[in-house]
Amino acid sequence: MTDGHIVSSYNQDLNHLHQLVIEIKDLACRQVRDAVTSIVEEEVERAREVILGDRAIDALDIRADEEIIRLIAKRQPVARDLREIMTVAKMVGDLERIGDQARRLARLTLRFYDNDASPPNRQLLNDLVKMADFVTTMVEDAVTAFDTLDLDLALDVVRRDGVVGDDFRSALRRLSTFIMEDSRSVGHMLDVVLGLRSVERIGGHAKNIGRYVVFLVRGKDVRHEPLESVEAEISSRH
Amino acid sequence: MLNVTPNSVGSVAPPAGVVGVGFSPTADDSRVISGTVGDIKAADPRMTARNVDVYYGDKQAIKDVSLDIGKNEVIAMIGPSGCGKSTFLRCLNRMNDTIDGCRVEGRIMLDDQDIYDRKMDVVPLRAQVGMVFQKPNPFPKSIYDNVAYGPRIHGLTDNKQELDEIVEQSLIKAGLWDEVKDRLDSSGTGLSGGQQQRLCIARTIAVAPEVILMDEPCSALDPIATARVEELIDELREQYTIAIVTHSMQQAARVSQRTAYFHLGELVEVGKTDDIFTNPSHRLTEDYITGRFG
Repeated sequence: MTDGHIVSSYNQDLNHLHQLVIEIKDLACRQVRDAVTSIVEEEVERAREVILGDRAIDALDIRADEEIIRLIAKRQPVARDLREIMTVAKMVGDLERIGDQARRLARLTLRFYDNDASPPNRQLLNDLVKMADFVTTMVEDAVTAFDTLDLDLALDVVRRDGVVGDDFRSALRRLSTFIMEDSRSVGHMLDVVLGLRSVERIGGHAKNIGRYVVFLVRGKDVRHEPLESVEAEISSRH
Repeated sequence: MLNVTPNSVGSVAPPAGVVGVGFSPTADDSRVISGTVGDIKAADPRMTARNVDVYYGDKQAIKDVSLDIGKNEVIAMIGPSGCGKSTFLRCLNRMNDTIDGCRVEGRIMLDDQDIYDRKMDVVPLRAQVGMVFQKPNPFPKSIYDNVAYGPRIHGLTDNKQELDEIVEQSLIKAGLWDEVKDRLDSSGTGLSGGQQQRLCIARTIAVAPEVILMDEPCSALDPIATARVEELIDELREQYTIAIVTHSMQQAARVSQRTAYFHLGELVEVGKTDDIFTNPSHRLTEDYITGRFG
């Protein structure tokens, strides 16, 4: 929520942009959930809707960029307003890519269940489903941290990305034991690995958003800093 | 890290108003001023002001301001109307001496000379610390005589040839030579507003100042003339030290290397312009530059 500008239409412009980010996040998270549901429930039609639904996120991505360009040209933002606009510009890019990953997950449903495709062993999908739930919550929390300027929540999201990395590696190990036991399922396993990779990337995008929030609030760019530096920045001046 | 320089000797309390976590717009004590936030010192100071108070009669216009003006830098002074930025600027070459009831306390040094010393002669001081005003104010004389006036009264030349050279060089530095070289005998007041302002800058340069003070030099100019003067300020920085008061925050951001934010007679924050306009430390500075206040 932005307020306090003498020119009230400036507040409206910034708030509108802010709401647009929330809208894109809601859509992207719904897409990820629907894509995973389509895999679990073997719902080919739902997967097709997710694939088509990605266009809506793309359209919002373009609309956000247009609004950002217009705001910069009209208002010459500085300080916190400038940081908010730059943060939104970067967040929207990450959210749009989360939408792309949801589309990739939905494609797995088509490969597994469409027409006469052979369904995979359900055990192969356990890690994928669990991790997808975990990273979707990360995305929601990252955007909440942006919405409420909550540095602690932002840091928590950044930390959780480490858990995602560990889970990803564990899941790969489990899959490789499946391959050793039953080499006929190699095709499915490759698909599942790609799915896990998509889910892992969604966690990475959530982490990016968490780091943007630090920039927004503190004015320090911690995108490529180690976790300890992010922690140090957040604990300073508390 | 945040660099806090309390203005009052002995004051060590961290300034309230330093933006901490988030930027909730709710009313709190974050807008309290207690000392200047940021580094008041310049790497290579040309002028140093310390604990300057200015009074107009009983009214205090400037409260305990300390600030360095660094060599070959442009420092911009910004703030809402009545915040004291012009008053402070005018202290730097004792222009306030001309105002009845104005009293200046504290110490202002130009290099190692105290400009408020009893023995200080303000005429050479104002040649060393020149001033360009808001409204172009050429003398009702020829372009040549406008520029030659200062060198003549200060006795800077012995002969016509040297004077011609000073006039030409000053007009070249002010970016006006090509436009007026064929009509040096025409009246200065016949030039366009932007040309008149550059003529005034040439007139200031002609007496070889060390510091140039500019009090809203572009507020009466159109955007093209403004751009020319801003380009000129950037070029002049190589040879001179420039302090500029401006109402245009974009202009401060464009032309200066350091920015000082004044509020109700106090220097709230000073720092690198790049930092002030991306991540100011004091809530009042942020409120002002983002258009939430003023």
